[in-house]
Amino acid sequence: MRRIIIGMALSLVVVAAVACSGGSGSPTEAAAPPTSTPPSARATQPAIAPDLQDDSKSDVSAGASGPTQGGIFNTLWSDPPTLDPHLVTDGTSYGIVIEVFSGLVRLGSDTSNPFEPDLAESWSVLEGGTVYEFKLRNGLTFSNGDPVTAQDFKWSFERAAHPDTASTVAEEFLGDIVGIHDIVEGNATTAEGIEVVDERTLRLTIDAPKAYFIAKLTYPTAFVLNKNNVESLGRNWVDEPVSTGPFTLKEYRIGQRIRLARNDNFWDRPAYLDEVVFNLAGGVAMAMYENDEIDVTGVGLADLERVQDPTEELNKDLVEVPPNFAVSYVGFNINEAPFDDANFRQALNHAVDKQLIADQVFSNLVKPAYGIIPPGFPGFSADIQGLEFDPELAQDLLNQSSYADAGSRPRIVLTVPGTGGSPGLTTEVVADMWRQNLGIEIEIQQVEWATYIQDLHRGRLQAWSGLSWQADYPDPQTFIDVLFRSTSAINYGGYANSQVDEYVVNAQTEQDATKRVQYYNDAEQIVVSEAAWLPLWWGVDSKALVKPWVQDYAFSSLTIAKFKDVWLDK
Amino acid sequence: MLAYIVRRLLWTPVLLALAAFFVFFMGTFAPGDPAELRLGNRATPERIERERERLGLDDPIPVRYFRYVGDVLKGDFGDSYHYQGRPVLEIIAPRLWVSMQLNIAALIVAICIGLPLGFYAAKKQGTGRDPAIVISMLILYAMPVFFTAPFLILFFAVKLHWVPASGWGGFFSLQIILPALTIGIPGAAVFVRHMRASTLEVIGQEYVRTAHAKGMSNFVVNYRHVARNALLPILTIMGFTLAGMFGGSLIVELIYGIPGAGRLSLDAIFQRDFPVLTAFVLLGAGMLVLANLVIDVAYTIVDPRIRLQ
Amino acid sequence: MTSTTPTSSIVQDLPKSRGHWRNIWANFRRRRLAFVSLILISFIYLLGIFAPVIQTHDYQETNLRETQQGPSTDHWFGTDRAGRDLYTRVVWGIQTTVIITITSFVTGSLFLGVSIGLVAGYFRGWIDAVIMRVGEVISAFPDILLIILLAATLRPRITEFARDVEDSTGISGLVSSGIVDYVVIGIALLPLSWFGMMRLVRGQVLVLRDAEYVQAARAMGTSTPRILFRHILPNVVSPIIVSVSFGIGAIALSEVVLSFFGLGVQPPRPSLGVMIGEVTARGGASVSVLRDHPEQLLAPIIVVWLLIFSWNIVGDALNDVLNPRAR
Repeated sequence: MRRIIIGMALSLVVVAAVACSGGSGSPTEAAAPPTSTPPSARATQPAIAPDLQDDSKSDVSAGASGPTQGGIFNTLWSDPPTLDPHLVTDGTSYGIVIEVFSGLVRLGSDTSNPFEPDLAESWSVLEGGTVYEFKLRNGLTFSNGDPVTAQDFKWSFERAAHPDTASTVAEEFLGDIVGIHDIVEGNATTAEGIEVVDERTLRLTIDAPKAYFIAKLTYPTAFVLNKNNVESLGRNWVDEPVSTGPFTLKEYRIGQRIRLARNDNFWDRPAYLDEVVFNLAGGVAMAMYENDEIDVTGVGLADLERVQDPTEELNKDLVEVPPNFAVSYVGFNINEAPFDDANFRQALNHAVDKQLIADQVFSNLVKPAYGIIPPGFPGFSADIQGLEFDPELAQDLLNQSSYADAGSRPRIVLTVPGTGGSPGLTTEVVADMWRQNLGIEIEIQQVEWATYIQDLHRGRLQAWSGLSWQADYPDPQTFIDVLFRSTSAINYGGYANSQVDEYVVNAQTEQDATKRVQYYNDAEQIVVSEAAWLPLWWGVDSKALVKPWVQDYAFSSLTIAKFKDVWLDK
Repeated sequence: MLAYIVRRLLWTPVLLALAAFFVFFMGTFAPGDPAELRLGNRATPERIERERERLGLDDPIPVRYFRYVGDVLKGDFGDSYHYQGRPVLEIIAPRLWVSMQLNIAALIVAICIGLPLGFYAAKKQGTGRDPAIVISMLILYAMPVFFTAPFLILFFAVKLHWVPASGWGGFFSLQIILPALTIGIPGAAVFVRHMRASTLEVIGQEYVRTAHAKGMSNFVVNYRHVARNALLPILTIMGFTLAGMFGGSLIVELIYGIPGAGRLSLDAIFQRDFPVLTAFVLLGAGMLVLANLVIDVAYTIVDPRIRLQ
Repeated sequence: MTSTTPTSSIVQDLPKSRGHWRNIWANFRRRRLAFVSLILISFIYLLGIFAPVIQTHDYQETNLRETQQGPSTDHWFGTDRAGRDLYTRVVWGIQTTVIITITSFVTGSLFLGVSIGLVAGYFRGWIDAVIMRVGEVISAFPDILLIILLAATLRPRITEFARDVEDSTGISGLVSSGIVDYVVIGIALLPLSWFGMMRLVRGQVLVLRDAEYVQAARAMGTSTPRILFRHILPNVVSPIIVSVSFGIGAIALSEVVLSFFGLGVQPPRPSLGVMIGEVTARGGASVSVLRDHPEQLLAPIIVVWLLIFSWNIVGDALNDVLNPRAR
């Protein structure tokens, strides 16, 4: 689950990045040069992001004739670290794997129904929420014609958890199932929590009622693999996988390209496209698009003006991409001076004119964030009182703080990831606003991603930027609880407020949805007022270009398998 | 000479072993933990510990080093950290092959432009054309690739649509043209300079003057005597150019989106993918040593006056 | 390169070397292009050195109401996306280049390269062998990769160390003034600079140490350091100068590449490489920028271009003037 998104929103290329997470399918857009694979891979694709809005279909109107079969769709992508679904941890791999493999359920595209049946035609929740019984579709087969049975799922789950598989996320996504933990630890090979009732019925027992359990099954760790295929080919099986998704893997050349071909044994209507080609080598996306080498691309900030000019040829291809549910921010280490003083943090918040930055630097593609939970996301409240730009108030707060005197103020080092993605222009602008409005000088430290992530984990960063947080699942818990509960591992700044802790703990067990959201909003208000962070931007309205002959290419806030509906009108 | 070759070859493994040790040393010294990078930001300390154990990162450096050397001697360069579970060679080999093809194409560009132009400039010494050629080639030589690459893309791909903007399609594809030009043109400038210098030297030699005196046609003198002898020193330059090209042309690969060795190794540094990096350094150093040896030996064959010590 | 064997004239000339250098300078001045290049280089370097004086704005001052402007009387080269003045950033970027070229040349090439070369060439034997082998190992790495690897791994340690020093001694500004960056880049560039110079000097010394006048000095009981520095070094100066003038362009370019990848100079301090990396989004947006806002890309690039070009011309001319026999 990629919760950390490197600060694309901070970069010059914010739009492109978001276009990617929106699913334009070009993570290596101008935004992310190929060198940046490690961070940007995580950056550009949300792992599980909820889609609470309808898919905004691209505005290309379907021609008079219906969908036609055939054609090759070309897109830019970056090199996925793995194509083994059970090992996937990053967005780059995720985006390809979900086109090839599938599991019991998938993320839906509808607010009322965030999860759709995939290989399972239905499921029921029994025993007060601890038992899930899935009914598989009739006549399911793998791409090679082998039938898919409940036994295949049992084997796959146990394989994912097995230490030899070396999945780093198996425990996270499957660990709720009784017995999986023992397999991960190497103490067992089968899990009693996975029962094969009959060929088409699978029963999962989890250790406690957990409403979000079904969400975890949409992740590739819970996808079904063909035992024969995996065991006979050894570790090279991913080069010739047998799969259940709308496409099969036809060719994989590391660093060069991936070709997917239509899976004619797909349980649903087969895809229209003959092939989808992911160009992994990268390049100048916009130039490639203009040269008809790729069919879709995100629009980088550098190209925005030109593309928005109505007299430009490209303007006809311009499509809006719905925002993703992410918030980017400047984080403060609450345990270190001067950030241990709330007045000081509030002063920093009030001193930054986010609206101006959004207007002038990002051409309004980012939306200033005054709270934590992004608009449109469950639990978003318009009533949260943010810390607005107010230089005088900021100065007053600074004077009230214990660090008003510049001479005795400790050194402030703001760390940004320096490689991968673009240099943090936002950081420099924000730092300059602090300097101009408060007279606070800071040092900006650029470090490599590898160093950054390590220092962040160890709590060694005094203040950091260049990150944004992407929702894992459509629940405010993914923002408020995970980020600000004092005992959460992801609470890098060490923020601790007993009232916040109480609210989020109450919310965990609260059955009444409205009350539960209220708990989160109350907690959010405290976090915002106490300036635990300096929230910068919420997910971005971005733009993409789609060739006129591409039909039914859907952009959505989350990454879902999308190529099965695409057809070409050439 | 055989003794010399044997001595050089014997030295190679020592050099490689030292180079590998250097990478190992940098690896432990560098901040950033491969296990942590793989697990992402959500990992618990226990999970990180388990992963470190699995990757064998907890053993002392000498232990890891000798285990690695042992594996390499058996032909096993280990598995990549980043490309989960992929053998390193499987990842490196195709990338190296791409870089080599690109660099050979670039060398061809450099030779085709550089040698005739250098020769021409030398023949025109004393006229305005000689300095014009030399200076314009120097201007091209000094042109930063940060400008050359986007300029060529903008002009030939986006505006004229003559060639694809970027990507890789193999040696015999249109895609190779722009990157080969980008690398090859500065290379051509180097060749012009050397070809011109060595041609001038040869022109002054007595046998050339004798040939002219004997009434041989200009063409014969030019090609049989001048050009051929002038090419000798070029051989060294060529060798160095090829060897230097091995590192991959990082920025060119980056901007054109070419899946070459330069980018792979850069990614390996940033991803702390030490198995890939070490193997890359070993292969690179090995090839460099071999290339130098071949050049030296070739030199003695072409010019018997040179002796290897 | 064919070595300049010490002719008797040079040996005799030693005391009146002032005249020798004046001759060379006169020769050099006759080459008009080279002379102009040298003036150009001096001009660019002066721009950098006097950056604080000739700047028109503050290099980190953002002005969000004047972003992405073309050249104007207020902003001679225009402004970048954050509204910072490009001219000011370019001259400060040049200052970075100047500092880095000088420091890494003084430490790497001149100090390390020359002294190790002298030692290796003069003593030969196992010292020479060890030095050469180490050099070969280092030069077996692809240059730019080694530089990046060193910069990436060294920076955090060195910065941490510098902060500790600042905190414990009360000295301030080590990190914020960029000194740490220069040290990191200087060290990272060492492998690029020392070995070539060392090999050059060593080769010269190998020839010179057996020259009659050196043997004579040895026979007279002159101490080894004195032989090295009084008798041998002055005769190696010419090739050193040529090599330095060719190498400076390469060093400047390496700094640009490092900063381009975010491993060089830290923001908000400008460097030509940082400017290029920032505006092209590390390469990906380079075509778009060149098309829509060429001044943002060209301002730093033209400076780099001019520098490398001029140094090459100067190097060529020096080579002709100083090593008339070498081609």
